[in-house]
Amino acid sequence: MLAYLCAIGIVALIYCLLSLGLNLQFGLTRLVNFGVVAFFAIGAYTSGLLSLQGVPLVLCFVAAGALAGLMALPIGLLSLRLRDDYLAIVTLGFSEAVRITIQQEAWLTHGVQGVPGLPKLFAALGGSATDVAIFITLLAVATLVAVGTVRLAGSPFGRLLKAIGDDEPALEALGKDPTWTKVQVFMLGAALAGVAGAFYAHFITFISPEQFIPLITFYVWMGLVMGGAGTVRGAVFGSLLLMVFLEGSRFAKDWIPGVSEVGMASLRLAAVGLALILVTLYKPNGLFEDKSR
Amino acid sequence: MVWIDIANLLINGLVEGLVVALPALAMTLVMGVNRFPNAATGDLMTAGAFGAVVMQLWMGWPLWLATVAGMLATALLSAGAYQTIFRKLAGRPMVSSMLAAIGLGFLVRSLIGFFAGHDQRTFDLPLVRAWNFGGVRILPTDLNIAALAIACLAVVFLLLYRTSFGRQLRAVADNADLARASGIRAHGLMLKLWLLVGALSALGGVLLGMKAVVSPEMGWDNLLPAFAAMVLGGIGSPLGAVLGALLLGVAQELAVPLLGPSYKLVLSFAVLALVLLFRPAGIMGRVQLVR
Repeated sequence: MLAYLCAIGIVALIYCLLSLGLNLQFGLTRLVNFGVVAFFAIGAYTSGLLSLQGVPLVLCFVAAGALAGLMALPIGLLSLRLRDDYLAIVTLGFSEAVRITIQQEAWLTHGVQGVPGLPKLFAALGGSATDVAIFITLLAVATLVAVGTVRLAGSPFGRLLKAIGDDEPALEALGKDPTWTKVQVFMLGAALAGVAGAFYAHFITFISPEQFIPLITFYVWMGLVMGGAGTVRGAVFGSLLLMVFLEGSRFAKDWIPGVSEVGMASLRLAAVGLALILVTLYKPNGLFEDKSR
Repeated sequence: MVWIDIANLLINGLVEGLVVALPALAMTLVMGVNRFPNAATGDLMTAGAFGAVVMQLWMGWPLWLATVAGMLATALLSAGAYQTIFRKLAGRPMVSSMLAAIGLGFLVRSLIGFFAGHDQRTFDLPLVRAWNFGGVRILPTDLNIAALAIACLAVVFLLLYRTSFGRQLRAVADNADLARASGIRAHGLMLKLWLLVGALSALGGVLLGMKAVVSPEMGWDNLLPAFAAMVLGGIGSPLGAVLGALLLGVAQELAVPLLGPSYKLVLSFAVLALVLLFRPAGIMGRVQLVR
């Protein structure tokens, strides 16, 4: 039971990191990143493949964050000087391009078979102590990011971000060029997704292209929009809600008779779709509305 | 002879481009009028293709009738989605409509997958041999697909440029406030637009299914090419979307010998990126729609 709770907690915290990254991008700055999973995948593969070459895990994690952040640079430069829907289209396309490239370049990524046998984080501790240690580390990292986000939001830089999100033309009229600021935030959020990917790779210990489908991106979006974009509380609540949904739908399979594994996956997709529609229609500020914004 | 291979790829590329032109046109119309990238376009294609498959294979209807039924059903689905979802999101930030469109796409795709299963299906088409002109091979099926796509495009362009509906639509796309002040009833017009968008996407799906296979993911897999074609042609420009789709189709096919067929989607993304880098307004686009 402890092992199960620990595993759920770890996955929830990984989603929480993704959600906090997206919250920086979308919640604070209104950057529509529909390619969260691309940076998650880049992080997971960077860290996973480096660790197999014997690189110490700490460096793997740093490289995962750095490469994911760097890959965000051209994407950001390309689309952030244009209207904001371009970023949405480009990031969505990027995430598919990344997944297909991982699938095809088998010499580097082992292709569709995936990469098994990645070293687990804190494997030396052994048994359930390993998972507990991963959980505590992730909790510490997520708390750090959450506190950092709150501090950032209150800082002059954070006010600049909010101004970009609220009224960009007004900001430009004041003589500020928001493009570079937006690129920086976009890279920071992507780097966070990369680190989340590294945690994922060294917890699950197996990565394959089919784990990095666009659905993951929209899991994170669903969580963040439900929790309330723009607040750390929203990102955290959102990832908890998401975890309840994902785990709940696994148990729901036992209660709904005659539905196959594939059928259940379809129903889960339908629920995500419906949730995205209903929340944007009726609860645009999240289920726990924040009146101050 | 190398030029024969190139000619074959060119023909195939043009046919694929004509098929992608239909959803790209549907998307650019929504972009020009409702101002958001309709990410559900791909899944509307899937809906149309499955509607036609169900009617042909399960009910035994002839293909043309099944196609009309698929188009009709998808048109109603599309207009219903506008009425219940996108109409209410007008005036809200673009991301709301786009998230809802993604959600709608998920919903449509998953319901199709749940009820029809994930097996690949093919339309029941007469088996015909390709005509061979000294190595240049032309499939009669491809000719039919191209003819249907061209006929459909012609009808849409007639609607857009020769009818009162088209004039009103272009007026709303140009300046929604001015159009309303001139007495154009936006709501009925929007419903007609979304009927057209649904029918257009559905036919694109059927033609795609005739060319390859019908599966719940087919539309989603063609969303990115349609996006790329729209941006390449210039957002909001109907003619641009068609030209963009043709160029993209040819580019994708010509790249197959170099990159292999799996990289088609990546090539779409590369085209998208290059256009944004060098000419964000696209071939026919207006700059004010870009920034």
